[in-house]
Amino acid sequence: MSLTTVATLPWVEKYRPKTLNDVVNQEEVITSLKNILKTKAVPHMLFAGPPGVGKTATAHAFARDLYGPNYIEDGWFVEINASDERGIQTIRDKVKMFARQIPMGGEISFKILLLDESDQLTDDAQHAFRRVMEQYSSTCRFILAANYSNKIIEPIQSRCAVFRFRPLLKKDVIGRIKWIAEKEKLEVDDAALETIYEFSEGDMRRAINILQASASITSKIDEKTVYYILGYVSRGEIRKILELAMSGNFTQARDELRKLIYVQGLAGSDIVSAIYRELFYLDLAEEDKLELIDLLGEVDYRIAEGGTEEVQLMAFLARLAAKSRKKMNIGR
Amino acid sequence: MPQLWTEKYRPKKVAEVVGNQDSVKTFIEWMKSWEMGKPSKKAALLYGPAGVGKTSLVLAYGREYGYDVIEVNASDWRNEEKMKSIVGESSQYASLDGYSRKIILVDEVDGIAGREDAGGILALRKIISETRVPIVMVANNPWDQKLASIREQSLIIEFKRLSKTALIKRLREICEKEGINVSDELLSKLAERSEGDLRSAVMDLQAVAAGKNTLTEKDLEVLGERNRVREIFEALRYIFYAKSIRGARAAIEGLELEPKTIYTWVLDNAPTQITDLDELAEAFDLLARADIYFARIEKLQMWRLMKYAIPLMTGGVAVARRTPPKGFQKFTFPHKIRLLQQYKNEREIRQSIAMKIASKLHLSKYKASKDVLPYIGFLISRTYGSKPRITEYFEFTIEEVEYLNKIYGRVEEEKTEIKDVKVEKPVKHSRRKSR
Repeated sequence: MSLTTVATLPWVEKYRPKTLNDVVNQEEVITSLKNILKTKAVPHMLFAGPPGVGKTATAHAFARDLYGPNYIEDGWFVEINASDERGIQTIRDKVKMFARQIPMGGEISFKILLLDESDQLTDDAQHAFRRVMEQYSSTCRFILAANYSNKIIEPIQSRCAVFRFRPLLKKDVIGRIKWIAEKEKLEVDDAALETIYEFSEGDMRRAINILQASASITSKIDEKTVYYILGYVSRGEIRKILELAMSGNFTQARDELRKLIYVQGLAGSDIVSAIYRELFYLDLAEEDKLELIDLLGEVDYRIAEGGTEEVQLMAFLARLAAKSRKKMNIGR
Repeated sequence: MPQLWTEKYRPKKVAEVVGNQDSVKTFIEWMKSWEMGKPSKKAALLYGPAGVGKTSLVLAYGREYGYDVIEVNASDWRNEEKMKSIVGESSQYASLDGYSRKIILVDEVDGIAGREDAGGILALRKIISETRVPIVMVANNPWDQKLASIREQSLIIEFKRLSKTALIKRLREICEKEGINVSDELLSKLAERSEGDLRSAVMDLQAVAAGKNTLTEKDLEVLGERNRVREIFEALRYIFYAKSIRGARAAIEGLELEPKTIYTWVLDNAPTQITDLDELAEAFDLLARADIYFARIEKLQMWRLMKYAIPLMTGGVAVARRTPPKGFQKFTFPHKIRLLQQYKNEREIRQSIAMKIASKLHLSKYKASKDVLPYIGFLISRTYGSKPRITEYFEFTIEEVEYLNKIYGRVEEEKTEIKDVKVEKPVKHSRRKSR
């Protein structure tokens, strides 16, 4: 298979469920949504569940089944990502613009607005959004998608029909990957399937991305191919930073850290998580690791408390550098 | 080993002290009165702007006439035992039998005036009245009300800003010793910038001229950009080299800059000024604590918390820094500013790519950048040069494709067979937690 065929469009998009019938492994949710479709009495809805299980896709599929294939072009459906919109005012303005007019002639008298990653809104913003929901509910129904429903304030939850999306099971992910592989005429061996599943952690989007990248190398995908891809895309940046600090090169470690934060735009909490995963494998005395784990926890908490990401992480790297130096001296 | 020129060229003899000749004469006479056993006053208070030779005079005198100059840290004089042992034991001050004689030098004496440290002033007064060795105090501003009693006990000697001619002459001498060719015009510019402060002029000279044979107009441009910045460099010097937390804190008082701004300068100069890794870790602990106070100030609008942040970010690094740096370490602009400028373009390209991916794939920009962009980058780099449809699908510009290929493409390795690639188990991805 030629590369240009593989790289036509992202498979996550190509194999996105188009209708509710295509959605994998969310039978209960889909059954309820189909009932709603029959009556066309659409409530506000909250879709809760881990990433990559199909919340956004289901919202799109639902809208398509409700309004027809041109649901977006005809102006029935719009999505806003809460984590990209800075303030509630921007969201309010967008909702206002969108919900002001109802397309004429349809039998349905409301539009649908999908607020993705709605758990990223602060409590204050959620309270403001609740008022927006009420203000525009006659012309607009809201679907809120969230990873954690407990991060959505009670007043919003109580106004929504809550749909819980199950985490995908291993067989769901592997089944879907096999299905795509068949369509794309790929051979994927069992070990490769296992590895893809392991690193996807139940996130279908990630699993499909790994598959597509692997397919760009070979049509016979084995475990090695998958590891090669994973090594490629992760690029080991965090490990590099830790190693620089451990070799006493604090300044360079600092610069690389800053590139991650300010050039790649990685969130401090994600850097903390990545460091946490690496920490156990570092070449350090066990008691030093414990101390660093404790310090990292402090960094994590302080960032949540409003501390500056780079400063708190630099303090961690400086401590790591000091610990490693001691170890080197003892080794001599 | 390179050395601070301000130390290297400190006057060794009283005659080498630049400028303020009347003040120098007064000081010598006062010291002679001690040597005669009849001091006019027990203490002398040398005051005037920074870098005009107050401390240098005392050190040069001590060296030339055989005195040990004991520099007393501001916090020491509250420790009565310690002071007694320094001041009290020197009863042989008048004997001329070769025993080492002492001068006690108290720096930053005006530092205690502004604070609530009445006890410190009382202790100092007591010491002056009991001392048998000359006490020399140094201050920038001696006119604080709280210092009134001390002024009465002391001979007050004023030091003025140095004249441009005097500065040029000294700078010329240093250049000759360092083997640096330089025009009078350039030295004149350096002298002007320093506003009569020899120390900062020498600092500037070293910063632009160290290691060079010839100094040109262009070299001075570095300094030209930082008219105001010079003040910060000066403050940083005081912060990192302060002998007390109080001194470090006082260093930022005259600056018309937000503490948060100064913080960024301290933060990025710490790794070059503090070379010992343990001390650096200690300094960063304190800087990270100061950062938390800044966060609380902002969140709770509790401005009074600033008084905790400032000593941590100034005195903190001074206390943590115990090992002197190896040679002369220049203070620099916050590296973060440079980095942001340097990578501005890359950052914008990446954001633009993320936005395009986000809108096509129904994701937040953040997730697009973190989770999907690397895979797209990989696909693009695999098909680099053939203009694949995926590029059209996302409507990437040529610049964006170039970026993805540069970051995620390894052109040479592509020729490698997969089976030859060393498989190293990468760290597992994990689900993104809340941000």
